[in-house]
Amino acid sequence: MSTTNGKVLNRYHVIFLAQSIMVGTGILSLPQKLSSMGYAQTFMPLLFGLLATLTAFAMVWLCSKFPNDDLFRMNEKLLGKWVGRLINFLIIIQFIVFSAGIISNYMHLIQSTALQEQTITLPVLCFLLLLIYIVSGGIKSIARFSVMTFFITIWIIYFTRWAIEKGDPSHFFPLFNFTSKEFFEAIKQGYFSILGYELILFYFPFIIDQKKAFRHSLIGIWISIFLCFITTAISVMYYSEWQLKRVEFSVLNLFKAGEFTFIERIDIIGITLWVFLILSSVTAYVWCAKRGVDTLFTKKKKQNYPLYVITIIIFVIIRMPFSREFQEKLFLASNYVGYLIVIWPVFLIIIYTLRKKQVQV
Amino acid sequence: MNKIPEQIVAKIKQEIDKVDDVKLKMVATEEGDVTVIYFSSLIEKMTLQTMVTIPLANNLKQIHQMAQYVDPKDIQGVVKKLNAGQTLLFFHEVNALLSVDTYSAPTRAITDTETESTVIGPQDAFTESLETNISLVRRRIQSSMLKNENHIVGSETNIKISIMYMENIVSHSNLDDLRNRIDQVDYPLFTDISVLKQLIEDNPLSPFPQYYMTVRPDSICRYLLDGRIVIFMDNSQLAIVCPTSFFEMFVSIEDYYNRWTTASLLRMLRFFGFFLTIMITPMYISALTFHPEILPYELLLNLQESRSKVPFPPLIEVLFIELIIEVLREAGSRMPAKVGQTIGIVGGIVIGTAAVEAGLLSNILIVLVATSALLSFLPPIFLMSNTSRFIRYIFILSAGLFGLFGQMLAFAWLIHHLLSLKSLGTHYMTPAIPRKPTDLLDNVIRFPTKYLKNKSGISKAQKK
Repeated sequence: MSTTNGKVLNRYHVIFLAQSIMVGTGILSLPQKLSSMGYAQTFMPLLFGLLATLTAFAMVWLCSKFPNDDLFRMNEKLLGKWVGRLINFLIIIQFIVFSAGIISNYMHLIQSTALQEQTITLPVLCFLLLLIYIVSGGIKSIARFSVMTFFITIWIIYFTRWAIEKGDPSHFFPLFNFTSKEFFEAIKQGYFSILGYELILFYFPFIIDQKKAFRHSLIGIWISIFLCFITTAISVMYYSEWQLKRVEFSVLNLFKAGEFTFIERIDIIGITLWVFLILSSVTAYVWCAKRGVDTLFTKKKKQNYPLYVITIIIFVIIRMPFSREFQEKLFLASNYVGYLIVIWPVFLIIIYTLRKKQVQV
Repeated sequence: MNKIPEQIVAKIKQEIDKVDDVKLKMVATEEGDVTVIYFSSLIEKMTLQTMVTIPLANNLKQIHQMAQYVDPKDIQGVVKKLNAGQTLLFFHEVNALLSVDTYSAPTRAITDTETESTVIGPQDAFTESLETNISLVRRRIQSSMLKNENHIVGSETNIKISIMYMENIVSHSNLDDLRNRIDQVDYPLFTDISVLKQLIEDNPLSPFPQYYMTVRPDSICRYLLDGRIVIFMDNSQLAIVCPTSFFEMFVSIEDYYNRWTTASLLRMLRFFGFFLTIMITPMYISALTFHPEILPYELLLNLQESRSKVPFPPLIEVLFIELIIEVLREAGSRMPAKVGQTIGIVGGIVIGTAAVEAGLLSNILIVLVATSALLSFLPPIFLMSNTSRFIRYIFILSAGLFGLFGQMLAFAWLIHHLLSLKSLGTHYMTPAIPRKPTDLLDNVIRFPTKYLKNKSGISKAQKK
């Protein structure tokens, strides 16, 4: 297994880590999340891309000041030991809940499309076992998995061919037909689909070529943004405004437009193949959570039991006896906390500039 | 003074007590009495005559030129030499022990390869003799840079292995790594090189073979010149190549003899065939058990009609026929060759058609299973085709559990497992990201020969 000591991530790893973590379940429902803007949503992903570029710049700038520390250590150094630890603890909880949210969403989707006659307990268990197997290989193993994920899943785009043929490009116009309230609603609802690039705050110390890390992760970010753009553009072409609001997983329905003589429902193949994308993003989050636990509690590194504990917590969150409404509220809250983590580096930069002389790099 | 030689001979006699193929002879020569000791089973009579008996009688100078002096006090060393097929000469007058290399155990002639035959290209294959194998390589690479180091492995078998590499190309860190691993091997018996292979592999628990094994000298030469390390073992026909990547398990040396178009086509067939063979029958299970809506109405009707009489769920049906195929395959390979083929074919046809007519299996499934069984024999490395058989069962079971989702989970496991495997410290699945851009020229598509001058990335060859 690859070691987690020292620098292990080359440029391809950085590109595809950023790319694969961003594409999770979010992209599946992106057109619905943006539907407050109606047909004008087409170019929203590009705006998100700009926002992501700005925040990613802040993140990498902060990281470059602490080339050997991840966010957990930065928090401790900049905010003092106890405040930093408290924040770290919150971040760990956030990551666990967030991963549980991704898995839970995906599993319910699987249950509604592919496995109608089963409960999700056993599939979730198998999924989590695979998760442990991948995460215990370290960040490099996750990165290599992300690279393969990209090449294994990218051909799904081909199946949107029929939707493009049947769609109507005139839906794109007029371009700016929305109010500011609709606009901010769309940002609030939709931006979480492209969360994931913030994890560079945690794997930055492992990057070999740290000077070019920003450029490489930008490539990855913009690949994902481009995929999101394709999604919204095709959805806008294919659906009516009413459908955009009501159809939850519009991407899956795009696949249904396909016509083969030997396969009827391409969406089932698509959604099951999506497990690669889910795995690559969840493994990264869980890996970060595990590193957080390592810095918080244990002194000896390279032990795997925090990972087992994290997975058990995730399992309990997904299968806990609370109502589905409560779960959804919890996961939604964790999405909004996710926005906080994106903005967090800006706050840290301010503190850094204030305390520059006291902090030892 | 006169007693010491007798003591030594007596000690040797004691060591080789109850070994009846050891011969002891007293010969009188110009320089006094000589005791000749040798293993008659390891030495041909002709060799003994020309190397020892005739020179002893006529020309003692020749003996002195050929022979090596041995320290008579080191009894263990003396016995080892004896076991290695050398003839010991004890000169009583001068109290000296000499040994002459007369090893000439009967060996097989060089024959065609039966396991890796090709239509184009040289047909000779390695034999079980280390000397012959090395000679087969050395006559193809006539360079002093081709080194071979001998080691002895196995505490009881004492078998000679030879590590071969090109001094000017090979990566020395790889070489040191391999030597270390071989030094650490502690295992008594080596009956074939595959035993050694399992002991020095990076992950012995994995179902995947991590080193290439072949009996073809031309293939070995290609890898040697690419900077790989090759291991031969005495009494073993196969040779190991390390490190090797996952993709190279699907490469046959014939690809380089064919036109590049044909070669590329065949490579695609083999490579994607591997993924097809593990996916076809599980697909049948998931489509029929969990997602009948995935199939168009007419096709579904067709399928349902063919298995309308079948009493089992698809999972049992598939496991049943797959096991029958395994049984046929195993029986076919264990039976004496003359009976084997007839029984295999007849058994296959009879069981196949009879099972369908009896309503135990659907005939569409028979077609799928036969296809996937044929596809599993595409990889030129037999170990890989065995692996694909094993992996298929994992996929079948996971498809039986969760349908397509289970299949994709298993696929993710497979991809991750392949990604985390290593071959001699190098990543096994190198083509995921090619180590060098030029690797892509010799990948699923084999480019025309003039572009294939570069060493591959996995061998970490020295730069010139």
